[in-house]
Amino acid sequence: MTKVLVIDDEAQIRRFLRAGFELHGFTIIEAEDAAGGLRAATMDAVDLIILDLNLPDLDGSEVLERIRSWSNVPIIVLSIQSDEHEKVRLLRLGADDYVVKPFGISELLARSDAALRRQLRSTNRDPVVKAGPLAIDLVSRAVTLNGKRIQLTRKEYALLHGLATHVGLVVTHQQLIKEIWGGHASNIQYLRILVRKLRQKIERDATQPQLIVSESGVGYRLNQNESGAAPGGRGVPSNSYSA
Amino acid sequence: MSTLQERRILRDLTAKLPSHDDAEAPVRHSARWLNIAALNAIPIVATFAMVWLATISLVVINYFVPFNLVALIYMLPVVVAATTWGIGAGVVAAFAGAVAADFFFYPPLYSLWLQNPQDIVDLLLYLLVALVTSNLAARLKNEAVALQRREKEIGELHAFSQGLATCLNSRDLIFAVQDYLSNTLRYRAVLIATAPADRAAFENTAVPEEIRREAVKLIAAGARRASTVLDPRRHRAWLVRVIAPEILGYGAIAVELGEEAGERSAAVAQRVESLIEEAMVTLNHLKVKEAIEQATINYRTEILRDALIGGVSHELRTPLASILGSCSVLNRLPVVADDHQAQALVEAINDQAGQLDNEIRDLLDATRISAKGVQPQLTWTDPTDIVSGALKQKERRLSAHWVTLDVARDIPLVHVDPVLVEQALGQLLENAAKYSPSGSEIRISSRCENGHVVFSVRDQGNGLTADEKGQLGRQSFRGSRQVAGSGGSGLGLWIASTFIAANGGSLHAESPGPNLGTTMSLQLPVTAAEMPEPADALND
Repeated sequence: MTKVLVIDDEAQIRRFLRAGFELHGFTIIEAEDAAGGLRAATMDAVDLIILDLNLPDLDGSEVLERIRSWSNVPIIVLSIQSDEHEKVRLLRLGADDYVVKPFGISELLARSDAALRRQLRSTNRDPVVKAGPLAIDLVSRAVTLNGKRIQLTRKEYALLHGLATHVGLVVTHQQLIKEIWGGHASNIQYLRILVRKLRQKIERDATQPQLIVSESGVGYRLNQNESGAAPGGRGVPSNSYSA
Repeated sequence: MSTLQERRILRDLTAKLPSHDDAEAPVRHSARWLNIAALNAIPIVATFAMVWLATISLVVINYFVPFNLVALIYMLPVVVAATTWGIGAGVVAAFAGAVAADFFFYPPLYSLWLQNPQDIVDLLLYLLVALVTSNLAARLKNEAVALQRREKEIGELHAFSQGLATCLNSRDLIFAVQDYLSNTLRYRAVLIATAPADRAAFENTAVPEEIRREAVKLIAAGARRASTVLDPRRHRAWLVRVIAPEILGYGAIAVELGEEAGERSAAVAQRVESLIEEAMVTLNHLKVKEAIEQATINYRTEILRDALIGGVSHELRTPLASILGSCSVLNRLPVVADDHQAQALVEAINDQAGQLDNEIRDLLDATRISAKGVQPQLTWTDPTDIVSGALKQKERRLSAHWVTLDVARDIPLVHVDPVLVEQALGQLLENAAKYSPSGSEIRISSRCENGHVVFSVRDQGNGLTADEKGQLGRQSFRGSRQVAGSGGSGLGLWIASTFIAANGGSLHAESPGPNLGTTMSLQLPVTAAEMPEPADALND
C-alpha cells in the first residue's frame, strides 16, 4: 500500500488529507512539525511526502532541502502564498510540484498520482508516456496522436520530451529552455512560440489548449488527461479544483 | 503666519538681538580693531563722496535750470547712506549736505555765513527733514534685514519640522534636534542624556567626559542658567545649558565654543544662551514629543498592516482551506455522493467558503496595493495562456453559464505580468457571472486591434447605466442595482484596473443600457519583441 507522509501543523488540514487519501487507498503518516516530519521521512519508508511550508519549528523549504539531500522520494509542497518566484525556487530545490491553498482533494490526488507514476517509471523503465490522446515513446522518439504518428521538429520534440518526462507535473520555463536549447542562451519568447507551434500539432484547438497548459509565471504542465478550461459549458473536468 | 511667528518678528524688530553675522565670524584679536576701523571708514568716505557728487550735480543743474533744487538733491545722499549703512551715515550725510549747501549755494557764496534769515529757516528745515528721513530709512533697512533673517530661520524651521516628520525613533529625533541646533547656532551642539544607557548610542558625537560630568551635575542641581565649562585636556570651552522639559531623557545641551576664552567667550556664550532659549521655544512649539509619538504611531501602523496581511492570510485563509478541502473530500464519500440533499448542502458550503476566500483575497490585494503599490514582473506571455488561466481560475464560478470562446489564432505575444493580467481577466469573468442570469451566454474573445491586444468579456446581464459606467474605476464600486442583487466588497474591479494599469493597459466598459448586457475589455499594448529571426532557434 502506498504510504504518504503529511507534514502540516494544522490539525484540520491533516484531518481532511487523511480522509481524502484513505478514501483512495493510501496509508497516511502524520507529522505536525518539521522535526517529526524529518524523523518520519527517515524512519518510515514513505512513498510520497505532502509538505506544508508554514511549519512552527523550521521553514518548509529547509525541510525540503534536507530531505532532498538524501532521498528522491516525491514531494508535493502545500503553499498559501501565490508568489511565483517562491514556487520556482521550491521546484528548483527539488519539489516535484506544488498545490496552492485552498485546494480540492482531487487536485492534490492528481498531482500525487503524477509524482508517484514518475517515480514508478524511473524504476520499471516504461518508455511510453500517455497524455490523453497523445502517446510519446521516449526511446524510439515516436509520437502518436489518437494512434496516428505525427511529425515533430527536433526542438518541438525536445519540448514535448521535457514535459512528458514530468507528465502531470509542472516544469519551469528555465528547465524547459535548458532542455531544448542546452547551454545556449535563449529567451522566453522562443519558448512561447515553440509551445504555440507544438500546440498546433497536438491540441484539438490550439487557441483552447487542453494538453499543454500554462502555469502563469512558473512553467508548463502536460496534462495526463485531456482537460483544463471548459468552454461551452462542458462541465467540470476530472482533475480540477472541485468539490 | 502663526501668531507665535508674528510675535517673534515683532520682538526682533524692537529688541536688539545679536546678529548671525557677528556670531559666525570669530576674529583674531590683532586684526579685529583694524577691521572695525576699516568697516567704519568706508561708509563715511562713501557718504562724503556722495555729498560731493550731489554738489557737482547741483552746480551743473544750476547752470542750465534756474530752479532752486538744493534741498532736494542733498536729500538723496541722506536716503542712500541711511538705507545702506544705517542712521549714523544718514546723519553724517545730512550735516555734510547742510554745510555744502551753505558753502556753495547760499549767499554769501563760498562762506559758511548766511545772509538771508529765510535761508537760515530753509537750511534748518532741510536738516530736520534729512534727520527724520535718515532715521526712517535706517529703520526700514533694519526691518528688511530682520525679515530676511526671519525668513531664513523659518525656512530652516520648516526643513527641521520636515526632518522630524520622517523620524521613526528617538535616535533619529535626537540627531535631527542636534543638527538643527548646530545649524542655527553655527557651533556643534550635542544633547546630553541623563541616563547613562543612552550615551552609547552617540559615541560618534561624544562629549569629553569632564563636560559630560559637569552637565549631569548641572541637571541634578536643576541649574537654570548656562555655564561655560573648560575641557582641560583639549583647551576647548563648552557651553552647557540644562533644558526643561527634557527631550526623551536628554536633559542638557552642550555647545562646543572652541578655543576662545575670556571676554569673547562670554559674549558668544550670551548669544548662544539667547539662541538656545529661542530654540527651546521652537522645539516646544514644534511639539517634538508629539512628533515622535506620531512617528511611532506611523511606524506601528505599518507593522500592524504587515501583521494584518500576514495574519489574515494565515488565520482566516487556513480555516477556509480546511473547509474547502473537507468539502472536496465529503463530496467523494459514498454516503454523500448518493444523497442529493447532502450533496447540495456540501456544494452550498463549498460555494460560500470559496466566495469568502475570494473576498479575503481581494481585501489582501487592496491592502497590499494601498501599502506598496503594484510591482509587475514583466515577461513575454501568450495571450492564449492568459485566457486559459483566467478560465481555469473561475471554472466553478462559470459552471452555471454557457461560456463561448473566440480567440484569434495569430495574436502577438505581450510583455506583461501574466499573473496580474490573468487575475484581472478573472475578475471580469467573475463580474460577468455575478451580474448575469444562470444559463446565459458569456463570450470571451481576444484579438489584436490598433497595436493593442484586447480581451473582452460580454455577458447578457444587468448592463450599466451611463452613471454607473462613469463610476466603474472607483475603489469600491457597486451600483445600487448591483448591491441589491449580490454580495461582495466591490473591490474587484478597482483591483483589476490597478493591475492592468500597472501593465501599461486599460480597462473599458460598454453597455447598450440597463438589462442589455455589458462588455468589459482589457487593452494591453503590443511592444515589438526584441527577437532575432527565430528560424535558427526554432526551425530545427
